[in-house]
Amino acid sequence: MKDKLDVAIDSEMASLEAPAIQLRSQKKRLFRTFVRNRPAILGVFLMLLVLCMAFFADDWFIAIPQGREPQPLLAPYNPLEQDAANRLSPPSREHLMGLDSFGRDTFSRVIYGSRVSLMVGVIAVLIGGVTGAIMGLMGGYLGGKTENVVMRLADILMAFPSLIMGLMVLAVLGGGLFNMILAIGIVLAPTFARVAHSSTLSVKQNEYVTAARSVGAGNLRITRLHILPNILSEVVVLASIWVASAIRVEANLSFIGLGVSPPTPAWGSMIRDGTKYLFQAPWVSFFPGMAILITVLAFNLLGDGLRDVLDPKLQN
Amino acid sequence: MKRLAFLLVSISMLFILAACAAPAPTGAEQGAAEGEQPAAESGEPMVLRYADKAADLGTMDPHFAAATNDRNLADMMFNALVRYKPGDGSVFEPDLAVSLPEPEIVDGKQVWTFELRKGVMCQPTAETEAYELTSDDVVFSLQKSANPDTSAYAGEYNGMTVEALDDYTVKVTLDQPISPILFFPKVSDYAGGFIICRQQYENVGAEGFKTNPSGTGPFVFESYTPQDKVVLAANDAYFRGRPKLDKVEYRYMPELNSRELGLKSGDLDATNGQNESDWVERMNQEDGITVDVYGVGEVATIHFNTSVKPLDDVRVRKAIAYALNRDEFLALFGGPPVAEKVYSAVPAKFLPGGLTEEEVTALGLDYAQDLDKSKQLLEEAGYPDGFSLEIVSSERESYLKPYTSMQAQLAKIGIDLKITTVDHSSMHKLIRQDANPIVIYVAWRPNADVYLTRFYHSDSIVVTGAKPDTNFSHYAGIDDLIEAARVEQDPDKQVEMWKEAQVKLLDEMISYPILYLNQVTARHDYVDYGHELKSVLALYPQFDETTTLGNE
Amino acid sequence: MARYIASRLLLAIPTVLAVLTLVFFVVRVIPGDPATAALGDYASQEAVEALRETMGLNDPLYIQYFSFLGDLLRGDLGKSMITGKEISELVRQVLPYTLELTFTAILIGTVLGVPLGIYTARRVNTWVDYVGRVTSLAGLSVPAFYLGILIMLLFAYKIPILPAVGGGDLGDWKSNLSHLILPALTLGLIMTASVTRLTRSAMLNVLKDDYVRTARSKGLSERAVIFRHALRAALVPIVSIIGIWSASLVADSVLTETVFARPGLGKMLVSSIMQRDYTALQSVMVIYALFVVGINLITDIIYSFVDPRIAH
Repeated sequence: MKDKLDVAIDSEMASLEAPAIQLRSQKKRLFRTFVRNRPAILGVFLMLLVLCMAFFADDWFIAIPQGREPQPLLAPYNPLEQDAANRLSPPSREHLMGLDSFGRDTFSRVIYGSRVSLMVGVIAVLIGGVTGAIMGLMGGYLGGKTENVVMRLADILMAFPSLIMGLMVLAVLGGGLFNMILAIGIVLAPTFARVAHSSTLSVKQNEYVTAARSVGAGNLRITRLHILPNILSEVVVLASIWVASAIRVEANLSFIGLGVSPPTPAWGSMIRDGTKYLFQAPWVSFFPGMAILITVLAFNLLGDGLRDVLDPKLQN
Repeated sequence: MKRLAFLLVSISMLFILAACAAPAPTGAEQGAAEGEQPAAESGEPMVLRYADKAADLGTMDPHFAAATNDRNLADMMFNALVRYKPGDGSVFEPDLAVSLPEPEIVDGKQVWTFELRKGVMCQPTAETEAYELTSDDVVFSLQKSANPDTSAYAGEYNGMTVEALDDYTVKVTLDQPISPILFFPKVSDYAGGFIICRQQYENVGAEGFKTNPSGTGPFVFESYTPQDKVVLAANDAYFRGRPKLDKVEYRYMPELNSRELGLKSGDLDATNGQNESDWVERMNQEDGITVDVYGVGEVATIHFNTSVKPLDDVRVRKAIAYALNRDEFLALFGGPPVAEKVYSAVPAKFLPGGLTEEEVTALGLDYAQDLDKSKQLLEEAGYPDGFSLEIVSSERESYLKPYTSMQAQLAKIGIDLKITTVDHSSMHKLIRQDANPIVIYVAWRPNADVYLTRFYHSDSIVVTGAKPDTNFSHYAGIDDLIEAARVEQDPDKQVEMWKEAQVKLLDEMISYPILYLNQVTARHDYVDYGHELKSVLALYPQFDETTTLGNE
Repeated sequence: MARYIASRLLLAIPTVLAVLTLVFFVVRVIPGDPATAALGDYASQEAVEALRETMGLNDPLYIQYFSFLGDLLRGDLGKSMITGKEISELVRQVLPYTLELTFTAILIGTVLGVPLGIYTARRVNTWVDYVGRVTSLAGLSVPAFYLGILIMLLFAYKIPILPAVGGGDLGDWKSNLSHLILPALTLGLIMTASVTRLTRSAMLNVLKDDYVRTARSKGLSERAVIFRHALRAALVPIVSIIGIWSASLVADSVLTETVFARPGLGKMLVSSIMQRDYTALQSVMVIYALFVVGINLITDIIYSFVDPRIAH
């Protein structure tokens, strides 16, 4: 109990230490660093594009208050509507990306699919990243018994291959989007834990940490001021890579038939479905693949930009 | 010092890995078969490389073989008293028996007496030497099939006794007389009818027999590599003559694209294809490749649970039937010839007792799509805005496609199906626990009686039936017809009763038959199966002593 | 160091036990059982019941649990509930395929990924860097089954130089190697993508560090700065990502194995879940867990070599 209190006071003090003006100017400088980073700006642009796709796919923001079914807005067609007779038609003026194996408009499905894929990518990585980073940080910083317990826990989780873990979670909890996201989050957590752990071990040895400790700084404070900023860059980069992995795990789960439930469009499952027709109708899998690439690119460019901003070394 | 420790650890780790990894020769694999084989004309052994969509072997004990891939292997290694003519499942012909017997009635019981071929040899194995198959093996085998501990098909053999009159005569007695159409499947080369070699079974035991089988068929088990392949070799002593092929490599390849590329690149001679007519057309255009489309077709049927709201109302069920369009389902498989429409619970194309399109249309029971009528019926039933139902589907294409199509079609009349995909085993368990108000089931059954009994007899009602099976509709209205037809000796009357039962099913819209899916196999032109492919119960092209790779 | 290794190996026991226990109970919660899965949908109810009895599935859970544990302690992995084969034999037949694939993929991933990462880091924000980044992200976005089919299409069909499918004959190194190249390339390329990316960012991170600047200011050649100082410091995250890949490749190569129709440990795991082959799943999971523990241990030991400040 006393520890917690100390910690709280510590962090209060920390925020008092930095004069407000200095903080504002620092923020400005960070912003400028970010803006000057052209790839990062491209990342922001692509990210906005994907977010727009997800947000404006249909007019839900008008329809839901009115209590009616949302109508497609950005998407030219209803993504669930089937035209079985014309299935697998190639791209044409009516259907820019062709039709899939059920005769649904691929373009509309790619637009709607951004919703599920963004959710999978972001939420699963957040779940995995936050729990994993906390585990790794605690293990690496505190050492001793905590380290053993936490890192062995990570070992246990890691001992389940992603597909097996996904299969088991889905089989026990049942299918569905949320359970799938949870499953992917659990899959990713231990890798974050291990990276955060090793980075913490490395940072912990630095003089400034030893110095801070010798002055009697509290654990949480050292972690917050010295360790976290230093390992954050690696965690953020890993997170931006792992967004791609999360979306890929969704595709992989759908490979063994346990992706998002039909008829919900999701890029991963769309690729899987399209792969069955790879030689006959390559467009069915190609376009969702490109969508994933653009999203992953957006996250990674943003991630790099953020890293530069977050990097304490750069700020000096 | 540290470095040394590190080196030691990594080296020891490597050793452990290497020890685990050392390929251990497995008994049968290093078989002597290769040495014994008579050299083929050209010197090169003639090997047929076939790929199936299954992931791995299940069992080679034919009485437990349930998956298609296991049935294929059983078909090549074993015989039965009677067989379906290769390539044509509508004709019975003698196999181990010399001829097809006529039944006699003795003390009110029906007796079938089989005379066995002489000189049929049991395949030699590492454990057992070759020996002549006699009535002792036949009796042992059929009794094994009747025992639930040693067979998956025991239910089929209730009320049947088998005895050996002498070494070459087997007497089968049935408590209830039945027609040949229902009897021969029980002793034919499908499921429980396969005859295994008793000595090998006793030498290796029940577990051992799964991977060390011995029968009398054209091919002998040679080796098994997990997840990769089973290799079968020609049975030199096969009673119909030594097979032209020296070996069959039966490969496990679940990924369609790989099978297609494998075939095109020449790594495979024949392969299981995609159940879609577009695929058939495309592959047929490839040089040197031919695709065969043949029966039997597995039937996809929609079963309504008539014991739950709102499906307990016949108007709701009919509303659904009128909302559906068979063409929409068919289109997802590229239409005919791979998928064809079915109008009754029993597929008329392959089995006596089914109703044809004409018969059903004449009765006005074809439920041609009519959305207005459908909406009107829903309104009468008190669901003008429709309703929503939760449903689980298997991850397999043959299920997911019809479920997803049904979902889109029913959305038009306001019925909202929420589908969750689960793995195939889970689905089978869940639907047997009544999880689905609407069940789509895809299956082949060897005759009308089995179809009707398993799916519509009250004993078979899931969860609550006397012998819970696959009656998902909780229907009990045709028990008397099923039972009467089963013991009817006159084939015409029997068929009449089966038809009457199915008309009732349609009239009350207990189930909606959608389509059957034919088998699709692609091969290089040089592959000659040795028979025409019309329908095969084992669901593969059937490789036997006549199968060859071209140059004869 | 020796004490550290010993203690980690001791700690592996509870880890494996935990994995085993988790798998044991979770797989029994999943709907469906091996008897139903093995007998198929046509089997009679009595037959399913009889098989459940033979398989021991009707025994109380704790009895099943301890009997499995007991067998395991005696080094008996049990028999597959489906094929009745000894699991140790199945694993022995499959493991070489998995190991050769994993090692080759890691080799490709490391040999290509690390230099590429260093190279792009040194040319940060030039077109080389941009191209490298986008390509490696493309590699991260593509599912293995998709890439696998493309590679197969290219090198087995369009330019038919290598066999499309199968694991090859283990006894014949030529056949084995020719069947190995394409799947290893598939996995290796995907791994290269993430290794390149992580190496690049780790290098960038380190290149800004004080001691690298000091090294530079001391007039050391760029080569020396990169390889003697920067790379060494950047190695910790690189080693850790390679470690993670090594562990996950063993099982996550399922899709590649499926596409190329190779046997493999991961495939065995997935199919044993699909078939509800409890014993096979449990036993193979134990082996896999040992693997992961081993790889993690090795990675942790390597940490202390590349960054001597990390003491155990």
